[in-house]
Amino acid sequence: MIEFRDVHKHYGSLHVLNGIDLQVAEREVVVVIGPSGSGKSTLIRTINRLEPIESGTLVVNGTPVHDRKVDVNKLRRDVGMVFQSFNLFPHLTALQNVMLAPTKVKGIPRGTAREKGIALLTKVGIPEKADVHPVRLSGGQQQRVAIARALAMDPKVMLFDEPTSALDAEMIREVLDVMRDLAREGMTMIVVTHEVGFAREASNRVVFMDGGRIIEDSPTAQFFERPREERARQFLSRVIHH
Amino acid sequence: MGIIGEFSELYLFPNGLFITIQLAITSLLGSLVLGTVIALFRIAPLVPLRWLGGGYVEFFRNTPLLVQLFFLYFATPYIGIYLGEPDTFGFRAAALGLTLYHAAYVAEIVRGGLLAVDKGQIEAARSLGLTYLGMLREVQLPQTFRAVIPPLGNIGIALVKNTSLAATIGVADLLFAGDIVESRTFRAEEAYAAVAILYLSLTIPLGILVNYLEKRMLVAR
Ligand SMILES: Nc1ncnc2c1ncn2[C@@H]1O[C@H](COP(=O)(O)OP(=O)(O)OP(=O)(O)O)[C@@H](O)[C@H]1O
Ligand SMILES: [Mg+2]
Repeated sequence: MIEFRDVHKHYGSLHVLNGIDLQVAEREVVVVIGPSGSGKSTLIRTINRLEPIESGTLVVNGTPVHDRKVDVNKLRRDVGMVFQSFNLFPHLTALQNVMLAPTKVKGIPRGTAREKGIALLTKVGIPEKADVHPVRLSGGQQQRVAIARALAMDPKVMLFDEPTSALDAEMIREVLDVMRDLAREGMTMIVVTHEVGFAREASNRVVFMDGGRIIEDSPTAQFFERPREERARQFLSRVIHH
Repeated sequence: MGIIGEFSELYLFPNGLFITIQLAITSLLGSLVLGTVIALFRIAPLVPLRWLGGGYVEFFRNTPLLVQLFFLYFATPYIGIYLGEPDTFGFRAAALGLTLYHAAYVAEIVRGGLLAVDKGQIEAARSLGLTYLGMLREVQLPQTFRAVIPPLGNIGIALVKNTSLAATIGVADLLFAGDIVESRTFRAEEAYAAVAILYLSLTIPLGILVNYLEKRMLVAR
């Protein structure tokens, strides 16, 4: 479903993606971890072409994402993205946030989109907040609306970039619960997170990045029990003891 | 006998006021639309569009409005630009000049507002599959307008006052009415005081409207 082959990217002299090879199959949940600045955000942002790449190939749902002829807007319909800072549209209510893309991008009638929007807000546990603007929502509620907004396009893949790192413990749980449900339903997911509990329970594989490279790519259980790489081991002991 | 006694002249004020309102509304709407387009040019992903927008702003901000009006009124007939029959010509030249001039200021304000929208908003919109224009329409512009209502209000008030320059190219606006009343009654102090008060009757409610809109938008943000 997603395939990186020898992908490179620089920011000036910084080699932020240094020969990335990675495959994610349908219904797989892959967690990406690694120290700050290792290129995790850059990696997942290339998948929907928020970041361009310089060389190598990246194929998503059979589409070579960075091919000049590819209609990026069409590609993005199938790739949902959830950001660390939620990025809900402040001038729209929760429900309007969820309805925006289906009505404006897919041209779905408002009535249908509204029903679906309410169903999605129910799924993420906050149907009662449908008519509330984002400023009136807690961080956890905002992030759950953001997940519903991405799901409203019926994406084939969901990308999460540290979706809980701006949240307090209480809210982290409510967001992770929603993500766990999604994983259980068979959504293909790539999740940048340091939530070890979530990674252990919900992911199939863990990818460890450092310095723009994938240092280790192992099945989840194996990664946490006997990581192959020393750097991964050191990093894990720091994350887990926090 | 004061100005109030000169009943035969008084009708000039409501007529002038009406023309001034018409001129202000036309130019205000025109400069909002044109200014927004210029602002979008100035931040466009295409470099030539950015130059075009930048050139526009520099030209219209750095030449006097009165000179622009004189050009439109006196010079256009000689260079083959047709703005209307003699009875509408002055008004059209004035509306066009006011629009072009204030659009430059609107463009600067809207551009600032567009750039102030959080980059994460734009990324969220684009990653949902919205096109660049769709993102502008649904996300970046609505947020911009909410943020720039106060400075746009100031432009609106300046524009209302600047419509008085239209009197110099023969538009029978409020100031023009004052001039005629003054020349017929020789009561300059009363004539121009009345004109000033009538301008206030436009600008003060406009200011109140802007404050009201600003408060309403703050609730929704
Ligand atoms: N637009 C940019 N221009 C220049 N350098 C950038 C840019 N974006 C990111 N970088 C740099 O690229 C490196 C990788 O950034 P990236 O955001 O992918 O890291 P990350 O692994 O997500 O880190 P974090 O855990 O802090 O989110 C960092 O050193 C960062 O400073
Ligand atoms: Mg990051």
